Amino acid sequence: MANSENSPQAHAVARRTRPASAPYARRRLLTIYAILALGVLAFPGGLVGWLDERNASGWFAAPLAFARGIDAVSGAIGVKEVGQGLRKRFSALIGEDEG
Amino acid sequence: MLFPTIEFGLFFAFSLALVWGLNSHNALKKVVLLALSLAFYASWNWRFLLLLLASGAISYVVGLYVDAGKPRPFRGAVLALGVALDLGILAYFKYLDFFIAQFLNLAHQFGLNPSIGFVNVTLPVAISFLTFHAISYIIDVSRGRLAPSRSPVDILLYISFFPHLVAGPIVRAHEFLPQLASPRNAADFSFGENMLLILGGLFKKMVIANYLAVRFVDPVFTDPSQFSRFDLIVAVYAYAIQIYADFSAYTDIAIGVAALLGYRFPQNFNQPYRALGIGDFWRRWHMTLSMWLRDYLYIPLGGNRHGAFATARNLMLTMLLGGLWHGANWTFLIWGALHGAALIGDHAWRRSKAFARYGEGPIARVLDWTLTFHFVCFAWLFFRSPSLDSASQYLSGIWIDNGAANTAPWIVAPLIALGAVTQFIPPASRAVVGAWVDNRNPTAQAAFGFALFYVIIVMAPAASAPFIYFQF
Repeated sequence: MANSENSPQAHAVARRTRPASAPYARRRLLTIYAILALGVLAFPGGLVGWLDERNASGWFAAPLAFARGIDAVSGAIGVKEVGQGLRKRFSALIGEDEG
Repeated sequence: MLFPTIEFGLFFAFSLALVWGLNSHNALKKVVLLALSLAFYASWNWRFLLLLLASGAISYVVGLYVDAGKPRPFRGAVLALGVALDLGILAYFKYLDFFIAQFLNLAHQFGLNPSIGFVNVTLPVAISFLTFHAISYIIDVSRGRLAPSRSPVDILLYISFFPHLVAGPIVRAHEFLPQLASPRNAADFSFGENMLLILGGLFKKMVIANYLAVRFVDPVFTDPSQFSRFDLIVAVYAYAIQIYADFSAYTDIAIGVAALLGYRFPQNFNQPYRALGIGDFWRRWHMTLSMWLRDYLYIPLGGNRHGAFATARNLMLTMLLGGLWHGANWTFLIWGALHGAALIGDHAWRRSKAFARYGEGPIARVLDWTLTFHFVCFAWLFFRSPSLDSASQYLSGIWIDNGAANTAPWIVAPLIALGAVTQFIPPASRAVVGAWVDNRNPTAQAAFGFALFYVIIVMAPAASAPFIYFQF
C-alpha cells in the first residue's frame, strides 16, 4: 500500500497543520503508553511469565512484584478472565487446544 | 528480540521516551539511537557486534576516499576493494561452507579426495541486510548521490538502525542519511497511519502467518510424502499467503516503528499478488530489494542498454544472485533462475507486436494475472523446500497421488481468503483511517488502538513461528 505520507502534498498539508512539536510528541507518547499499559492490564499473564522466567538471579524481583500486582488487579476487576475466556473460545472455535 | 515479543515491546517503550526526550539534542539523540541499535543486535550474540563495527568502519573509510566530488587516484580500485570486503564478510559467513560442499562433491565425482574442511561458522543475524546497507552507502557516495559522512556515528546508525536491521526494508543510504542531519517534528508523521501499520503488521504476522505456518504449511513441507495431492497443492498457496503476511508484516512494523521514532522508510510491498506480469510482481514484492538489485547490480551490468541478449543475461544474473542472497542452497538458486527466466519472457512479451495488439485487453489481463500468480506460487515451492530432494519429493507427490486422506484444517481456507483480501484493500484506506484517528482526542486514539490490539491478542495462537526473513 502506498505510504501517503511521502507525497509532497501530504508534507505541505502537514507543515500547514503541524501542531507545536513538544506537546504533540508528549501526547503521542502518552497514547502509545496507554495502549501498552491497557494491553498489560488485559493480558497480564504474558508479562508475569516473561519476568518470572528471567528472575533466577532476582534482578527482576521488583518489576515482577509490580507485574503480579497488575495481575491481581486485572483478576479482581474481571478483565483477565474476560481475555482468557475469549482466547479459549477462539482457540476452541478454530480447533486449537491452548492447554 | 523480534518484533511481536514482550522483549521488543519493553525495548520499544523505553526507546521511544528516550529518543523523543532527546529530540532537541540531535547529536546525543543519534548516539543514544546507535547504542540502542547495538544493544538490539547484541541481544542475539554480542560477538557479532564486531562484525557490525567492522562493516561500519569499512564504509566510513572507503566513503571518505571515494567521494565523487574529489578526484583521487585509484578511486575505482578503492571502491571495488570496499565492496569486495563487504561481500567477503558475507561470503565467509554465509556461502563458504556451501561452496566447499559443491567443490568436494565435484572432486569426489572425479575420484579426488581433497583435505578441505568446513568452517562451520554461525551465521550472524541480519548479515545480508547489513551488507546491502553498507554497499549502498559507499556506492551512493562514489556516484555523488550523497556527500560522504564525516560522522562515524551516522554511518553506524545507518547500517545498524534497529527497525530495519534484521529483515529490512533495505533503506538506501541517500534515503536515510539526510534524515540524520536534523531532528524531525513528531507531527511530520501521522500517528494514526503508523499505528495502523504496526497493528496491521501484528495481525498479519500473529494471526494469518502464524496459524498458516503452525497448523498446516510447516508440517506439509517438513514431510510432503505423508500428505495427499490436495494438501500439497493447498499448502503451496497457503505458503504464498504466509510468506506475504509474514514478511510484509515485518516491514510494516519496521516502517511504523521507525516513523514513531521520527524516521521515514520506503514502502516495501504493494499488493504483489495483484501483479500483471513478473516485472510488475517485482515492482510490488520486496520493492526495496528489487530497487537495490536494479541500482547496484542490474544497471552496472549494463541493464537493457546493449541489446536483447545482454539484457537477458543481465536479468538472469541479477535474479540468480538475488536468489542466492536469500541463502546458500540450490533451492534459492532455482527460485532465482525461475524468476530470471520469467522476467526474460515477460520483457520480450511486453516489447512484442502481439502485446501491443492484444496485451491490454481484458482477456489478456486475466491471463496475465493468472499466469503470474500461479507461476509465483510454483516458484515458492522451491523457495520453501529445505532441499532439492525435498522439492522433487513434493513435486512427485503432486504428480502421483499417494492416496493419503486430506488433512488441511478448515481454518486454512479463511486465512487464505484473509490474505487475499489484503491484496484488494484500496491503498488510500490506511491514510483515510489514519487521518480519522489523528483527528480524535488522545483518549479515543488509545481506545481505538487498544481495541485493535485486544482483538489481535485474543486471536493469536500460543505458539509462534519465527519470521521467515529473519534467517536471511
